[in-house]
Amino acid sequence: MMNMNDYKNKRVPPDWCPGCGNFAQLSAITMALAELKIDPKDVVVASGIGCSSNMPEFLNTYGFHGLHGRLVPFAAGVKWANSKLTVIAYGGDGDGFFEGTQHFYHTAKRNVDITYMVSDNQVFGLTTGQASPTAPIGLRTKTTPDGNIETPFNPIAFALNAGATFVARAFSGDVKHLKDITVRAIKHKGFSFIDVISPCVTWNKENSYEYFRPRVYHLENNDVTNFDQAYKLAFEWGDHIPIGVFYEVERPTYEDLDEVLRDGPLIEQKVHTLTEEDLEEFA
Amino acid sequence: MTIMRQNEVIIRVAGAAGDGVQSAGEILVRTFARSGLYATSYNYYQDIIRGGESWYQVRASDVKVKNQGDGLDILVALNQDGVERHTNPDINEGGASPLGKDGIAIFDNSIKNYTKRDTNYCPMPLADIAAKYSKNTLLKNTVGLGAAIAASGIDFNIFADVIRDQFGKKGDIAELNVKAAKEGYDYFLANYKPLGKKFKFGKKKYMISGGMAVALGAVAGGLKMYVAYPMTPASSALHFLAQHAKKYGVFVKIPEDEISAINTVIGANYAGVRAMTGSSGGGFALMTEAVGLSGMTEVPLVIYEAQRPGPSTGLPTKTEQGDLNQVLGASQGDFPRIVFAPGDIEEAFYLTREAMNIAEKYQTPVFIMSDLYLAEHYDTIDSFDLNFTIDHGLRAKDNEQDYKRYLITETGISPRAIPGQPGNMHNEDSDEHNEYGDVVSDAVTNPQDRIRMMQKRMRKMDTYIEEMRPTPTYHIEDAEYVIIQWGSTKGTVEEAVDILRSKGIKIGAIEVKNVFPLNPDIGTLLKNKKKIIAVENNYSGQLSKYISAQFLVKPDLITKYDGEAFYPNALADEIEVRIGKKKEVIRE
Ligand SMILES: Cc1ncc(C[n+]2csc(CCOP(=O)(O)OP(=O)(O)O)c2C)c(N)n1
Ligand code: SF4
Repeated sequence: MMNMNDYKNKRVPPDWCPGCGNFAQLSAITMALAELKIDPKDVVVASGIGCSSNMPEFLNTYGFHGLHGRLVPFAAGVKWANSKLTVIAYGGDGDGFFEGTQHFYHTAKRNVDITYMVSDNQVFGLTTGQASPTAPIGLRTKTTPDGNIETPFNPIAFALNAGATFVARAFSGDVKHLKDITVRAIKHKGFSFIDVISPCVTWNKENSYEYFRPRVYHLENNDVTNFDQAYKLAFEWGDHIPIGVFYEVERPTYEDLDEVLRDGPLIEQKVHTLTEEDLEEFA
Repeated sequence: MTIMRQNEVIIRVAGAAGDGVQSAGEILVRTFARSGLYATSYNYYQDIIRGGESWYQVRASDVKVKNQGDGLDILVALNQDGVERHTNPDINEGGASPLGKDGIAIFDNSIKNYTKRDTNYCPMPLADIAAKYSKNTLLKNTVGLGAAIAASGIDFNIFADVIRDQFGKKGDIAELNVKAAKEGYDYFLANYKPLGKKFKFGKKKYMISGGMAVALGAVAGGLKMYVAYPMTPASSALHFLAQHAKKYGVFVKIPEDEISAINTVIGANYAGVRAMTGSSGGGFALMTEAVGLSGMTEVPLVIYEAQRPGPSTGLPTKTEQGDLNQVLGASQGDFPRIVFAPGDIEEAFYLTREAMNIAEKYQTPVFIMSDLYLAEHYDTIDSFDLNFTIDHGLRAKDNEQDYKRYLITETGISPRAIPGQPGNMHNEDSDEHNEYGDVVSDAVTNPQDRIRMMQKRMRKMDTYIEEMRPTPTYHIEDAEYVIIQWGSTKGTVEEAVDILRSKGIKIGAIEVKNVFPLNPDIGTLLKNKKKIIAVENNYSGQLSKYISAQFLVKPDLITKYDGEAFYPNALADEIEVRIGKKKEVIRE
């Protein structure tokens, strides 16, 4: 039997600031993998660059800490190579909603069977607190000393627009719920997206646990197949912030539809040996 | 002066874009290939879908032809402009000479007001014959080709079969085309004199383009995934693989951009599947950050970089070798990389296949540098040697004790574990890391780890240099003068050497096939030569500068950057001037 500690790298302890929202996500990922009994050898966690993106280093799974904003295409490449693997792409909001935006969109649209979890702290953590795409209007940061004036990026609406087949939000202040959502996301066949409200205790004093705790509420008994309702809920923000699954439907994955990938994991498919007969085509 | 050989024919089909010039040219190459002749081709076209001038040149012989040639025997002109332009001796289209006095110009007899020059004009009722069989004006080309086949003395039945294959799926249309072509063939023989060429027909050949050769080489080397964003001239490989995806079991995908493409294939290679991407300069520029990612994480990667003239979007349908600096400089920092530059279709196949093994063996990016000329021209081959063993390089055993992904070794190569493998879980990191893959880039940094890891990675280059094959040479043994060349200029340089040798000049050439790292044997080859001349299809002599820095030599530079490939006679003339055997170049 696996327990959550089996998924943690014993050599490297997390280097996040004490109280950082990323800890809850580390716990949620390891708990979810243990609950689903997925062998660590069959898990790839791919990340970008940022505080949150250090995640794979703290895990005892296969991990890849790649480029800023490019974790999603990398993760898709892993999945397309070996569809037997559980592939989790994990990064920050700067990483995923600035430089990685179009990868996010198109991978969701293709319905590649990966889980994409974003640690959304509304700032850049690692580069010392610049405004991120989800920074609320008025947020004062190093790059917005007079307060942010740009309409925040809406990850839930974006994911729905793109065609993600699983769209959820969770909160680092509610680990049990975060873990449950993670389990559902990993189990979901198709592109699963979780936006995790994850306070940065160092650079974002305004959007703290204390700010979010009274505002978040659990989505319960909502019809997760109702796109219009999910889309409406995506714009609910402020005093009432829904967390939970907004949308979940079944749609064939890219891997199901592609004429080569549908024949099974690419890594198990035989390599074509070129023969004289093949050359006849060029006569 | 261009010498026309009895066992060689050069045909040019000229017209406006949209006239079917390219498919006509390809039909000719295939006809020669099936007849048992070697053929090669050159496609001169512009970046517009309709209108604009284009021509397609095919050179065929019973001995291997190494370039498109710069003479002309037969012109099939599809419009008046074509007749004027390609019979006008004052025009030197990118270096190629137009039809000479023995040449034959085939065109529709409705074209009348052209300037008469010293050439055999053969007007024919191309349109009238075509009209008997179809309303489609493209049939006119087929009639003209039939006449060209008659003029060059090729078996009509082979040509007819090629046409049938070309239009095969369209049933009756194929037969109508064959009949029209036969009328063109007969009309020519009834009214004009063929060239009287004498060929020794051999075994049938295969017809293949450089882009196809790269794609096939990759497949032969175990390719399972090709993810690329279209950009001329790399697209021919993408199209070919997409059309053969099912047959070869290769997953082919156009993603949202080149950045996605390269990161996706890095993901696949990381997961143990041979994957490749390709692009041209601008698209490759977007990939550069990820080239370093492959270098740092030590994930194997093969990149096909097909050059076109820059800077920026440059000349999209023309050829140049101007991206060497970009490929050598791609991505920040120092890390091992290997760059191949195939010189012809066969090398494109073999080098790409080898690159698949080399990338995995050295766990580092490997480039195949081509250019539009090599990528898009059709050539003939007898066959490929298909014996090859896929070598996955050094892999970790399952459940290694205390597995270290980046184990320090003498060769610089560490045993690789891939996801799904039991027991060897680890992290691969774009940040500097220690042997385990744990990050060492911040407060806990151990400078020793950084130094050891840099040295480990870079040691792969020393290991690779030891296994390099000797630099290919051409008539170097007794050469007083030597030409350095890389990539697709190979065939033209060799022919220039032949031309100069026939005049008693002791000259040879070396082909820089391993563009990076350079083979140390080049230093020896360049020793004690009277003169070293670098021939490059770019402005600044990018390879030449790099060779100078490495081997402390000072090559004289012959460059061309008008978007066209070199032509053998023009090049030979220029070389003669440079070595002081001729005062100046007088082109006829
Ligand atoms: C291409 C590139 N641009 C910029 C950076 C610098 N950089 C590192 S992390 C980061 C932002 C991180 O913010 P976010 O993605 O929100 O993650 P967090 O640190 O908040 O978890 C930036 C801009 C980089 N590493 N690579
Ligand atoms: S800076 Fe912010 S996001 Fe980064 S580790 Fe500290 S609390 Fe977490």
